[in-house]
Amino acid sequence: MSESMLNTQIQLATTWFLAARTMAVADGHVPKVKEAAAGLYARAILELPERVCIEAKQPENIGALKIEDCLVAVRNLPREQGEKIMTGVMMIAYSTKAMHPLEVRWASMLASAIGLSEDDFQRCCIGARVIATMLNPSGKEESDA
Amino acid sequence: MPSSNFGFMDRYDQRVGRLAGQAERYVYTDPESCLFKLRLMVETMAKTLIEMQAPHLVDSDLSTMLRSLERSQMLSRAHADQMHAIRRDGNSAVHGEPTPGPTAMRRLHDAHRLSGWYCKIVKRGAKVELKAFEPPSRDSMDAKKAAQWKKGEALESSIEKQRQQTREALLLFSENEDTDSIATKLVDELKGWDEIAIEAGEPLIDAEFVALVMAMDIEKLLEHPRFGVPSQEAHAMAEAQFDAVREDLEAKEKAFRQQRKQLAEGQD
Repeated sequence: MSESMLNTQIQLATTWFLAARTMAVADGHVPKVKEAAAGLYARAILELPERVCIEAKQPENIGALKIEDCLVAVRNLPREQGEKIMTGVMMIAYSTKAMHPLEVRWASMLASAIGLSEDDFQRCCIGARVIATMLNPSGKEESDA
Repeated sequence: MPSSNFGFMDRYDQRVGRLAGQAERYVYTDPESCLFKLRLMVETMAKTLIEMQAPHLVDSDLSTMLRSLERSQMLSRAHADQMHAIRRDGNSAVHGEPTPGPTAMRRLHDAHRLSGWYCKIVKRGAKVELKAFEPPSRDSMDAKKAAQWKKGEALESSIEKQRQQTREALLLFSENEDTDSIATKLVDELKGWDEIAIEAGEPLIDAEFVALVMAMDIEKLLEHPRFGVPSQEAHAMAEAQFDAVREDLEAKEKAFRQQRKQLAEGQD
């Protein structure tokens, strides 16, 4: 992989993890449990390799970033990737089966930054529900697992 | 012969202590049996813990019980990792995979780390002083066996490092990050933006639609006249993508088992 391609992927992974973290903590509860859904989403749907996901979480990458950096980054992403980030973030929102006002705000800010229409957002929302059911990041018991 | 590392467990859970003691005795002579006993030990511990937290899952498989304990925060990340490692390696041993001695020794050490914590949970308020783990004594090894043992230890270190990387990649926060302070910072920033957005009259997403989708049965959603077909397509595509990642992870574990098998067969 060329250096520029690697940097692009690290930037995408950093944007994803920051967007996902913001949604995960927006209701005021820090998810202390091991939460692999965000990483699986990054690997499977965003197609990011393992080392890129690790690199993105290094302090020099994600550490100094603020929410506004995340919004700038999603605005500059290709449309398809932006929609994937929106879908993944909604997947995390669905994990608690209820949305806190700050979660609604974060979803709105992202949707606006990506430039999603109402229909686009609804599509992301349904995709998120489908994937959330697949990954079950909710903490609900999976007696059939 | 009494167990040197697990003898204290008799006061808290005799069955778990006995399984650990048996595992300890087999660690050099029969590593597969050691792992089998350790897996049974972890399963017994998990059943006891799940009875306290989610009794309806007591007949579930070990993996389901451990995930439930993790989510309820009864199991810390480190304890869950140790239990999963014993579960995985125990499963390999049960299925006849030859196991090098150092693999069994690593898991025995993990079981020792778990034992002190477990005793404190099952006997609330108990003061458990966990002594440092001592590898069980054994007859001296000849130079060839000693070299093989060293190779096994090196292999286990390498496997542990690779598993650690896989875990790091998947987690939302890194092991060494201060999750609480990151969360506080993000929520504070978000509150600030929320105030600005309210002032500016920024529109919100359709929360009613989000709630509707959240409340719908997934089957109904997949059959919905408006969303059904694209949802089913998205479902199939996502499933294939997740399967590919899971296959990749499984291929790694398979490679670890193969490396161990080669080493164990070399020992024979």
